[in-house]
Amino acid sequence: MDDPITTFFERLATRGYEPLLHTVSGTYRFEIADAGNWGVMVTQGTLSVTRELPQASCVIICTRDLFCAIVQGEQNPTTAFMQGRVQVKGSLSLAQVFQRIFRVRPETRLAWEVTGE
Amino acid sequence: MNSKTVSILEGNTFVVSDLQGDIDASPSEPTGLFAWDTRMLSRWILTLNGVRPDLLSTDDLSYYAIQFFLVPGTGTIYINPDLSIFRKRMVGRGFHEELLILNHRSEAVDLTVRMEAGSDFADLFEVKDALAKKGELYQRIEGGRLVLGYRREQFVRETWVTSSAPAEIDGHGLTFDVHLEPQGSWSTDLDVIAATAVSGMQTTRVKYLREHISAKPEMQLNLEQWIENAPSLNCDWNWFERIYQRSLVDLAALRYYPRLLSDKSLPAAGLPWFMTIFGRDSVITSLQSLPFTPELAGTTLVALAAQQGTIIDDFRDEEPGKILHEVRFGEMTAFEERPQSPYYGSADSTPLFLILLDEYERWTGDAHLVKRLELEARAALHWIDAYGDRNGDGYVEYESRNKETGLENQCWKDSWNSILFADGSPSRLPRATCEIQGYVYDAKMRCARLARHFWNDPKLAERLEREAAELKRRFNQDFWLPEREFFALALDGDGKKVDSLTSNIGHLLWSGIVDKEKAEACVRHLMGEQLFSGWGVRTMAMSEGGYNPVGYHLGTVWPHDNSLIAWGLRRYGYRAEAAKIAAGMLAAAIYFKGRLPEAFAGYPRALTRFPVEYPTACSPQAWSTGTPLLLLRTLLGLEPDGEHLLADPAVPRMFKRLDLLSIPGRWGHIDVCSRGTLDLVGMDSSLPFTF
Repeated sequence: MDDPITTFFERLATRGYEPLLHTVSGTYRFEIADAGNWGVMVTQGTLSVTRELPQASCVIICTRDLFCAIVQGEQNPTTAFMQGRVQVKGSLSLAQVFQRIFRVRPETRLAWEVTGE
Repeated sequence: MNSKTVSILEGNTFVVSDLQGDIDASPSEPTGLFAWDTRMLSRWILTLNGVRPDLLSTDDLSYYAIQFFLVPGTGTIYINPDLSIFRKRMVGRGFHEELLILNHRSEAVDLTVRMEAGSDFADLFEVKDALAKKGELYQRIEGGRLVLGYRREQFVRETWVTSSAPAEIDGHGLTFDVHLEPQGSWSTDLDVIAATAVSGMQTTRVKYLREHISAKPEMQLNLEQWIENAPSLNCDWNWFERIYQRSLVDLAALRYYPRLLSDKSLPAAGLPWFMTIFGRDSVITSLQSLPFTPELAGTTLVALAAQQGTIIDDFRDEEPGKILHEVRFGEMTAFEERPQSPYYGSADSTPLFLILLDEYERWTGDAHLVKRLELEARAALHWIDAYGDRNGDGYVEYESRNKETGLENQCWKDSWNSILFADGSPSRLPRATCEIQGYVYDAKMRCARLARHFWNDPKLAERLEREAAELKRRFNQDFWLPEREFFALALDGDGKKVDSLTSNIGHLLWSGIVDKEKAEACVRHLMGEQLFSGWGVRTMAMSEGGYNPVGYHLGTVWPHDNSLIAWGLRRYGYRAEAAKIAAGMLAAAIYFKGRLPEAFAGYPRALTRFPVEYPTACSPQAWSTGTPLLLLRTLLGLEPDGEHLLADPAVPRMFKRLDLLSIPGRWGHIDVCSRGTLDLVGMDSSLPFTF
């Protein structure tokens, strides 16, 4: 059975450029209990994923179950954070803008990839 | 705000107390220490030997610090007090309070001083709607401090209370055994720390301590800089200068630092209920203040773009490309009992965002931001056509996707019963209110300019201009009421014209959607006695079935509404009429000590001679604070034109001289000087224009 967390980060790694993050540059570390650490680097929307990232400007910490619920769209990341179920160390602004990654559906692409007529 | 309370604030932390400095909050009273939409302290009561002191005076000179001067409660005026009590308070991550007691007697005194402390940790929504808590309250004493706490699952909020002087601490407060020598004094520093707030991380101290109060803290320096950077106003009618200063200081107070841009601020909507980001309010206040404090607009645009909707989410009324309505951080939002995380229930914030983007560039020349936000602007345009126009009729209409906690009306008149027919009967959803169509027209025209000059997309520019022209043509047919000669308030869900005469037609002038030949009739209505109260334009005309001079959006006068109407009148060349609205608003401001409230009653000025404040109005309210600024721009006829600033003053005679110096913009800084030459017809200028 595919692990949704591994799948999520593997898909992220193949995404390359994410227009929703086109204004974002920063480094993230996800510390997911029982699922390990993942690092994500964003340079003006261009993404890369690693398993090792000692330095990160934004560290996001939560449980495996919660992260699964977030990547599967069952839990809103902002309210999970507000409830105290997601911890953020470092830049809150980077965390806030990254949560858009979890909220991408086909209709999002229609709005963000319009290039004139 | 009730005049029997005083408040100090920084960002979204604020303290509202009575005039003595005490907080004794009932479940539905908005007094207390609030941080991130949660009441962190609801009880803070000082007693001496069990008796609450009496008030001599309250000194609230700055928005973030306040002093209370008290004497022991004697119950009679015939006994001279022999003690003085000073409380000095400063807000920031909670608050810092210095308590000083002076003995004026020639003998020593022993006193029991008690500070009662408690918190209900109410969500602002609970305070507003008087709802009950779902988690558990607790108190504990640890490390010499009183910890007040609330827990619901992993949602934890704690307030810590500490004292510099030794105290006996119990679960409900601190007690001091005070011995005062003859002519002696005693003092303690009390810190009330909002220890856990939205991030779940611990704050261990308040922002400003004793030494910061005499040394100028960051806030004071910041405020001085803020005022210095804004243009200076000289007017022979001195009240204008005072109103202008009040606006600048209140705008500084209402600055809100969004977490995503911690060093930059944008305007929050208003105290006490709305110390948060509102799409509509933040955009309009940014528009009003562009000639004065243009940095607010830049931050507003970036912050709103960063939280633009990405998916269809019924609970939050979210749609791809939509600009948010409101953000909250309290418990009910956290547990999704309310949708403000963020909530997207406004149909006008998206076109208003686009209007601000263009207007911002016209003033500042910041092409970089316009290019940086191209994708977001395109997504916003996509929203207008793909989602805003719900039924494909070419107009943007609204109906909440969230039937339980969504907003019934998603235009600026957002009370549930604001969109009524002339006979007072309700209209049906979905509703396409007229001013939103105006905003869409304006947004498309402005984005055509941006597409051509900054996005290198002339095809988009042509398409937007074509669509805007078609919208204007259809709107002038479909919304026009030929027998009454004004535009309908809305088209409702049955396609009927909602035929009340309202202030919304003034917004249409601002947007430019009104055909030239229809403008005069609109102006006649706006300045006629059914709409114009003598102070300003009512939200709804007296002639209409739904009219109520104290109905929130059914007849009250809203300052921000009037500032946009005056701007619209200037756009169509009605200089004297715009000046008349400005004069009426500024005259009203005098009665509120220079601070226009959110709204005031729609009674005729000739009847009351006094602008009667609307009972629960927020004050200061950002877009009311911005109103004198936009009126000033309108009176001076300021309009950017390429690299230049044009001025075409139309100033009432009673102002005599009106000079605005050092107006910042892409031109550097420019002075505009004017003389009052206009005589206002039918306007009583006698009382408030003399001292």
